[in-house]
Amino acid sequence: MLDESKAKELLPFLTLETRPDVKGQATEYILGVTATRDGCRYLRTKPDFLKALLTLTTDKSIAIVKDCYHSLINLSADETLHQPLVKEANVLPTLFQNLLDPGYMFSDRICTILTNLSRHEKTCREVFRVLQEQDIGLAKIVEIFCTEGFNKVASLHYLGPLLSNLTQLPETRQFILDKERCVVQRLLPYTQYNESTVRRGGVVGTLRNCCFDHLHHEWLLSDAVDILPFLLLPLAGPEELSEEENEGLPVDLQYLPEDKRREEDPDVRKMLVETLMLVSPLPYIKTILCLAAHLLS
Amino acid sequence: MASLGQQGGDESDDGMDEFMDRFRTEKYKNAFNESNWEEEFDTIPMFMKKVPDVIDPMKHPELACIQAIIHDDDRSPEEQAQGLKDEGNEYFKEKNYKKAIVSYSEGLKRNCADSELNAVLYTNRAAAHYHLGNMRSALKDSVSANKMKPNHLKALLRGAQCCMELRKYGDAQQWCDEGLRIHPADKKLQELRSTADKQKREAERDARKAKLREKKLRGQKEALLAAIKERGVKLMRITKPVREEEDGEGDEGQVAAGMGELDGLMSQEATGSCVFLDDSGTLHWPVLFLYPEHCQTDFISAFCETSNLLDHLAVMFGDELPPWDADRKYLPHNLQLFFEDAESERLHQVDVTAPLLKVLQHSRCTVKDGSPSFIVLVTGSSYSKQFLSGKKIHWLK
Repeated sequence: MLDESKAKELLPFLTLETRPDVKGQATEYILGVTATRDGCRYLRTKPDFLKALLTLTTDKSIAIVKDCYHSLINLSADETLHQPLVKEANVLPTLFQNLLDPGYMFSDRICTILTNLSRHEKTCREVFRVLQEQDIGLAKIVEIFCTEGFNKVASLHYLGPLLSNLTQLPETRQFILDKERCVVQRLLPYTQYNESTVRRGGVVGTLRNCCFDHLHHEWLLSDAVDILPFLLLPLAGPEELSEEENEGLPVDLQYLPEDKRREEDPDVRKMLVETLMLVSPLPYIKTILCLAAHLLS
Repeated sequence: MASLGQQGGDESDDGMDEFMDRFRTEKYKNAFNESNWEEEFDTIPMFMKKVPDVIDPMKHPELACIQAIIHDDDRSPEEQAQGLKDEGNEYFKEKNYKKAIVSYSEGLKRNCADSELNAVLYTNRAAAHYHLGNMRSALKDSVSANKMKPNHLKALLRGAQCCMELRKYGDAQQWCDEGLRIHPADKKLQELRSTADKQKREAERDARKAKLREKKLRGQKEALLAAIKERGVKLMRITKPVREEEDGEGDEGQVAAGMGELDGLMSQEATGSCVFLDDSGTLHWPVLFLYPEHCQTDFISAFCETSNLLDHLAVMFGDELPPWDADRKYLPHNLQLFFEDAESERLHQVDVTAPLLKVLQHSRCTVKDGSPSFIVLVTGSSYSKQFLSGKKIHWLK
C-alpha cells in the first residue's frame, strides 16, 4: 500500500547533499514505490521526484545510483510515465550523454530505459528527436552497437531492441536503408549472434521492420547487401548434405558443421520467417514455406 | 632591328653591319660541334633526357649545383620534407617505386612538425610498397599514416587494400568501417568493404569444406583400421622401429598408434596402392609375389580377401608364362607359396586354396608395410631345395 504522506516526506531527502544512510533509505523506498502500479501512477504527478532521481544518478554511491536507475526502469515501463519523464524531468539528454561514455557502468540500464521509452510511437518520436538535437544521431548509436567492446563494463545488448523500436519511424528506416551509406550491412552479421538473444532479436526485429517497404527489396537482395543468407542461416540446421546439394546453396549455408544449431528462441524464429516472407523473391517462397512448416511442426 | 636614324646613310656607326657581315662568314665561338651536338646537348641539364643515377660533380658540375640547391640543408625541415615528397611523387609517376620509397623515407627522416605532410609521406610510401608487392611494409606505413592523421582517407583505403591482398578480410572490413565512420558516403570504401565481406564469407566456407573433408577422410581411415583389426590381421611397419602397442592402453592411444601405422601404410607403398574397404565391406589388399629364383616380383594392386591365391596364380601363370620363366617351370599347380615370420625367421607354407583373409589371419602372419608378400617357389626344384635348406619351415599338413 502506498503511503502518500511518507513518500511526500522523502522528497527533501532525495538530494546529493543528504547524509548517505538517509539518502540510501530514501532511494530504496522509492524503488519499492516504483515496483507497484499505484506507486508509478502516484509519481506520475510528481515531476520533482523524477528530477531528483535523475540527479541522484550522479551520486558517488554505486548502490544509490543503481536504485535510481532501477526506479527509472520501472517507471519507464509504464506508458503513462513517458511524458513526465521525457518532458518534465527531461531525462533523455543525460541518458544519451552517459551512453556515449565508453566507461559508464550503467549503460545497460540506460539502454533498457530507452527501449521502454521507445516502445510506443509518440515517445519514440521524442527519443529520436532528442537524439538528433543532441547531435548524436542514429549513426552514432549504430556505431556503438556494432563496435565490439565499446563499453568494457556494459554489454549494450539492449541497443538492439532500441533500434528495433526506433524503426517504427520512417526516418529511422530511411537511415538504415540508405544506399549511400553502409548501415544495414553492419547489422546483418548479428542475426547469428549467439551470445545474446536480446541483441539478436533486436537486430532481426529491425530488419523485419525495414523489410515492410517493398521499394528497397531489390537492393536488399542484391550483392550490395545480400540479406537473404543472413536470414536463412539462423534457420538452417546441421543436416548433412551431399557435395552437390551444398554447391547449390548460397555460400554462407554451405558445408555447415554438425554442431550448427537452429535459432532456438521461438519469437526470433517467427520474426525471421516473417522477414523472409516479406523479402524473398518468388522462387525462394517455396523453400521458405517448407522451412517454416518444418520449424513449426 | 630599328636603324638609328638614317644619319649615316648606308654605313652605321655601331658597326652593326660589319657584325652582321662577319656573322655570315665566320662561325661564332663556343658553338656546338656539328658532328656531336646531340651528345653535347645531353650534358646540358636543361636538355637532358635522362639523369644519371649518381651525379658526379666533376662530370656534371651544373647538375650537381642544381641538386645542391634542391637539397639545401639550410632550409626548414618542412620545406625539405616537402621537396622530398615532390621528388618521390615524380619517381612514383615514372613508376620508379624503389627510388620513390627512398625519397619518401628521406622526407620522413626530416622529422618535420607537419603531421599532415608526414601522413602523406607515409601514405605515398605505402602506395609505392603496394605497387612493388611489399604488402606488409605497405600496411605498416598505412598504420603509421593513420596514426599521424586518423581521418586521412587515402591511408584508410590503402590499409584496407593491403589487408585484402594479405587475405586478412576481417581486418580489411575494420579499416573500411573506420573509414566509413568519417566518410560515410565514400564509394570506394563501401565497395571494398563489400568485397572484403564476400571474400571473408567465401574463405569461411572453404574452411568449413576442408574441415568436413578431413573429418570424412579420418572417418574412412578409422573404419578401415577397425575392419582390419576386427579380422585379426596384424599390421607391422618394418622401415621404422616397431612401436609396441601396449595392451590396456586407452582407445586414444590405440587409434593414434593405428593412425600412424595407417599413414605409414599409405606412404610407404612404393606403387601408391593401399588396402581399402569396398562398399560391401570387403577388404582388398595390395599383394606382392616374390620369385627369388629369378629375382622377380609380381604385384596385384587389389587382391580381394575372399579370393584365393590359386585363382590368381592360375591367371598369372595361365595362358602365357612370364618371360623370365625360361624353363617353363612356374605352373600354377606346381608352385609352393610361403610367408615369412619376421620375428622367428620361419617360413610358413601357405594354403593356396584358402581365401586370402584366412591366410592373413594365421597367428604368425604379419602384414608388413601394408602389403602382404609371398615367396613363390617351384615344388621340388633344385633351387627350391637350395633356398629352403637351413631354414625352419612349417609345412602344411
